[in-house]
Amino acid sequence: MNKLLISTLLASAMALPAAAETLRVGVATAQTGALAPFDTPVIDGIHIAVDEINAAGGIDGKIKIELLEKDVRSDAAQTSIATQELVDEGVSVIVLPCDADPSLAAIGVVTDAQIPAISTCASSPTLPQIGGDYMFANFPGDNVQATVSAKWAYDEGHRSAYIIYSPDTQYTTMPLYFAEVFEKLGGKMLGEDTHTIGQQDFSAIATRIAALDPQPDVIMTSTYEPDFPSMLKALRAAGVESQMIGSDGIDSPTTFSLGAVAEGLVFTTAGHPTEGSELEAFNKKFEEVNGEAPQTVFNAVGYDLVKVLEAAVIAADGSTDANTLRDAIANLENVQGATSTITYKGTNGMPLRSVSLIRVKDGERELIGQPTPDASLIPEPRVQ
Amino acid sequence: MDLFLQQTVNAFALGGTYALLALGLAMVFSTMGLINFAHGELMTIAGYILMACGLAGVPFAFSILLAIAAAVLAAVVMERIAFRPVRNASGATMLVTSFAVSMILQVLFQNFISARSQAVLVPEILSESVRFGGLVIGVNKIAAIATTIVMLIFLDRFMKHHRIGIAMRAAAEDFSVARLMGIRANTVIAGAFALSGFLAGVAAVLWVSQRASVDPLMGFTPVLKAFIAAILGGLGSLRGAVAGGFLLGFIEIYLAAYLPAGMQEFRDPIALCLVVLVLIFRPNGLIPSPALKAEKV
Repeated sequence: MNKLLISTLLASAMALPAAAETLRVGVATAQTGALAPFDTPVIDGIHIAVDEINAAGGIDGKIKIELLEKDVRSDAAQTSIATQELVDEGVSVIVLPCDADPSLAAIGVVTDAQIPAISTCASSPTLPQIGGDYMFANFPGDNVQATVSAKWAYDEGHRSAYIIYSPDTQYTTMPLYFAEVFEKLGGKMLGEDTHTIGQQDFSAIATRIAALDPQPDVIMTSTYEPDFPSMLKALRAAGVESQMIGSDGIDSPTTFSLGAVAEGLVFTTAGHPTEGSELEAFNKKFEEVNGEAPQTVFNAVGYDLVKVLEAAVIAADGSTDANTLRDAIANLENVQGATSTITYKGTNGMPLRSVSLIRVKDGERELIGQPTPDASLIPEPRVQ
Repeated sequence: MDLFLQQTVNAFALGGTYALLALGLAMVFSTMGLINFAHGELMTIAGYILMACGLAGVPFAFSILLAIAAAVLAAVVMERIAFRPVRNASGATMLVTSFAVSMILQVLFQNFISARSQAVLVPEILSESVRFGGLVIGVNKIAAIATTIVMLIFLDRFMKHHRIGIAMRAAAEDFSVARLMGIRANTVIAGAFALSGFLAGVAAVLWVSQRASVDPLMGFTPVLKAFIAAILGGLGSLRGAVAGGFLLGFIEIYLAAYLPAGMQEFRDPIALCLVVLVLIFRPNGLIPSPALKAEKV
């Protein structure tokens, strides 16, 4: 024990003179609780990127990345507390949980401390809008995803739609954006239903939709697992045969193992490993490190996040000063991540990234396309 | 009319599942005065067994048996390790213990299995539906209703005719007197836990086959519903638990079906207000337990 203590002391003493050559990143994310299914894969991706950069000598060959990690238990209050602790430890950047709601709880802390914060995978465009100058997102926005799927649905010849959403979080209200775009394109909304997150039984909703005459051409939802499979099975069992459209939350092995009910399902997500793509390379690397293939694109999204930090430090000429880094992130253009190129310049902190449109075919993922939506179609962020 | 009948079938299927869950809670509460909030984790365990069996290629019928057996075993082990040492402590102590067991299990699942939902392979037949005249009824709904009926008949016979069942009823009425008659406390309590595990296992199969996935926090919602149903029916009363489960199922389905669209957001609060309304008129629940204030071991 003593030996360990001495060697640790020695190591830290040796590390001291090099302190300026380290980027200290505070990670306040959900390792337990309801958001853990999304945050833990992102953190795995972050570790891969950090290990890769550090093994090559650090950012630009000289600045190592140090992660200070705290579990916020998917709780908004705990996120704020953990963020404050990380601020007190003098980190230069803070990584916040996947959902907009806990991330919003940390706004006051990061803004006061003037430290840039990036949410792992929150996709609500309201996050940087409310969060101000110091809040950044790391995912294609809900309004952009909904634009892509609504445009696809309309172009496929679908003219009527129905949405099922949950007012519980920002993310699960994505169908409202879908409805807005779909109507703008000339489609007709036949109605909407709401549910609560964690709802098990969708039979009443399914029966009501099955009784509609005429049936909607498409049903759009951003419900994610475990609710989504229940919803889909209930709809199909009730005899509803409309085209289902989902979003990134169902980009998961569960969706592909649902069998016949999921056949033809279409959803938007952050990336797709096309041949020769960065994502394919990342997936290989992930498998080498972890011994198994990634279960979700969220691993690669974590890698993207570190790539953004790396690019920001380089753009800031090696500075690890929080304010300098904020300005550097805000001006980044075309940073190559694992899933997409990422641009913050000219946005309010919601990055421009490509959206992949995926169809479930024979239980496998099939890429429909990676369209860039028409900017005039994208709805304004709405605060719930 | 068809629509109403269709929703009623939905309500029976959901209410039946709630009844099984509430019975599991009531079973343990009636013998030892404990509301076991770790009941949901018994379901999660059964769910993970279903998942593992699916991966290993075990036939679904056989994996159902394994999953139920695992839930029974887990319930008995839970009683032995966590609840026996605090059996004579106050109700609050036992309640907190059950929360602790629940959270420890959730974190273990998150860290040793996966934080993410895992897919459970469910036979295609359960996703299909059957037509009866104008009604479209999912096979899983029929399975849920049939299972509930079989389970209720089985439990009724068990509690009336089996030695341990009779002992459990005696203990529920007055534990001290039951012990004076030579009934062993350990047997009765372990029996109650085993039965509650059995109910959790059966409910888990119905629950999981509806959602085709299992995740570490899966047990939370069902145990909450079961708790509401048990209170609504009359805490500690087995018949009450069944009545409460069905009533809760009917309230939820009919609200989801017939509340105007603008009010749907308030479905859950309205459902709970209705529950409170029932409790105002029947403060001890629909079918109160006669031994509500009986002394426990």
